[in-house]
Amino acid sequence: MDAVLLLESAVNGALVGLMYSLVAIGIVLIYKSSSVPNLAQGSMTMLGAYIVLAISTGVGAPIWLAIPLAIGVMFFVGIGIERLALRRLAGRPVIMILMMTLGIEIFLRAGTMTIWGGTSRPISLGISDAPLFLGPLLINRAYAFGAVVALAMFGLFVLFFRTRTGVVLRAISDDYTAAWSVGISVERGVALSWAMAAVVATIGGVLWGSVQGVDQSLALLLLKAVTVAVLGGLDSIGGALLAGLLLGIVEGVAGSFLDPLLGGASRDLVDAAMLILTILIRPHGLFGRHDIERI
Amino acid sequence: MEQPSVAPILSLNNVEVIYDYVSLAIKGVSIEVPTGGMVALLGANGAGKSTTLKAISGLLTAERGEVRRGEVTFLGQSISGMMPQDRVKLGIAHVLEGRRVFEHLTPEENLVAASAVRSRHVMKRNMDRVYGYFKRLHERRGVASGYLSGGEQQMLAIGRALMTEPKLLMLDEPSLGLAPFLVAEIFQIISTISKDEGLSVLLVEQNAVAALDIVSHGYLIENGRIVMHDSTEALKRNPDIQEFYLGGAKGKDFRDIKHYSRRKRWLT
Repeated sequence: MDAVLLLESAVNGALVGLMYSLVAIGIVLIYKSSSVPNLAQGSMTMLGAYIVLAISTGVGAPIWLAIPLAIGVMFFVGIGIERLALRRLAGRPVIMILMMTLGIEIFLRAGTMTIWGGTSRPISLGISDAPLFLGPLLINRAYAFGAVVALAMFGLFVLFFRTRTGVVLRAISDDYTAAWSVGISVERGVALSWAMAAVVATIGGVLWGSVQGVDQSLALLLLKAVTVAVLGGLDSIGGALLAGLLLGIVEGVAGSFLDPLLGGASRDLVDAAMLILTILIRPHGLFGRHDIERI
Repeated sequence: MEQPSVAPILSLNNVEVIYDYVSLAIKGVSIEVPTGGMVALLGANGAGKSTTLKAISGLLTAERGEVRRGEVTFLGQSISGMMPQDRVKLGIAHVLEGRRVFEHLTPEENLVAASAVRSRHVMKRNMDRVYGYFKRLHERRGVASGYLSGGEQQMLAIGRALMTEPKLLMLDEPSLGLAPFLVAEIFQIISTISKDEGLSVLLVEQNAVAALDIVSHGYLIENGRIVMHDSTEALKRNPDIQEFYLGGAKGKDFRDIKHYSRRKRWLT
């Protein structure tokens, strides 16, 4: 085994993993603040990227202006999703809400396909394609940049959940009825969590779009994000971070060493295996909350 | 029957609640809580006590219930159709049955969550007040609330409600599952708060003995109807109340089975 190749796959895998976490954080955010499993994060990530493109190419705005504008638009998309689709479902069985988020996912995929078609479009963030040299290792600059942004977002959200608003959101996720009973506007809290998830989706969408181009395949990040979110524990921000790292490293290493043997596709196999094993062995993930049972 | 003499802070007038458009849970309930007074709503399981409280706090909607007829008036203003959070702002606090603390949050975070609309300064002051009444909460303020004892959780649920600066505190079976000495302690604290701060209290209980020790007035609800209301003294003297709610004052002769089948007088 080639140690340098192993190390290089691991480091690049870790960076990619952090970018997975960036998508997964949208799932964690919503679960942590309203106990809703959000299966629409994949297409929200894609939609965010498309909106950045629409603003930058359609209006001709520079990319660094298009991104904040798109973030603003997506904020209201998140609010809209709560208002139109989820508000009526508050207090209903979680399976209905789950199916609703899946419906949103499908709707957004079909909608973006209708508007923008299936051809892949590039987003350029002006990051050089030349690799970064770290000793003997070649590091992908775009992944490195994405990983740094992901880390910054995690820091931000960890702090956010300690603020008063963050505590209120966690309270909502614990018990809707009790939250209502102390005057918390549950609807507004849920809307805020979707808005934040939509904002993160935009950032994730731009970063991933710059790496692989913007097309329907961006929505497939949902699968990675679900794995990362479940592995980390659905309500743990730090868990999503570590799970992303873990998945990225395992995937990267497995990819370099198994792909030649299996003829490709080993990454998705690893991904599926991790999701299934997590649910079988440790359903609440690495750091997820247990339901507290007093004896 | 004696009517409360002070102007009511809360009155229900012929309130009818229906769940899922079909099942009638309470049928024409009328209740008054005098300002600064303590009133108990007594009744057995499924009599409609919790439904009555939810009709007041607006939490019915979450359970697909609806006030179909009648009016809920708080501080002279009709509140039917108001969102729960707006009712909290008006000064109605509902301590839910089964405590329902935010289990994954610490007691301190529970109190923070309940003061979302207050300034930080007011929140701190209210928090000190709550810790003043419930010293044990202060000692346990950093533990996940799910790990508190039943009594501590009940204190937290009440403390959390107090953070919203209520004028009317509604308690749904605070004695549920607690040791008698804890029930006495918690009821004593509620009574103190009511006296100190002029807080009006509507107490829903199955434990009539404990409840009648602190309230001045009681309502009896059976099958969704108020069957009787009177001052505490009168209720305690009533032989039917003694028998069916206070466990018999004179010591029951258990060989006399006929005793059980006697109809309550108010049903005839």
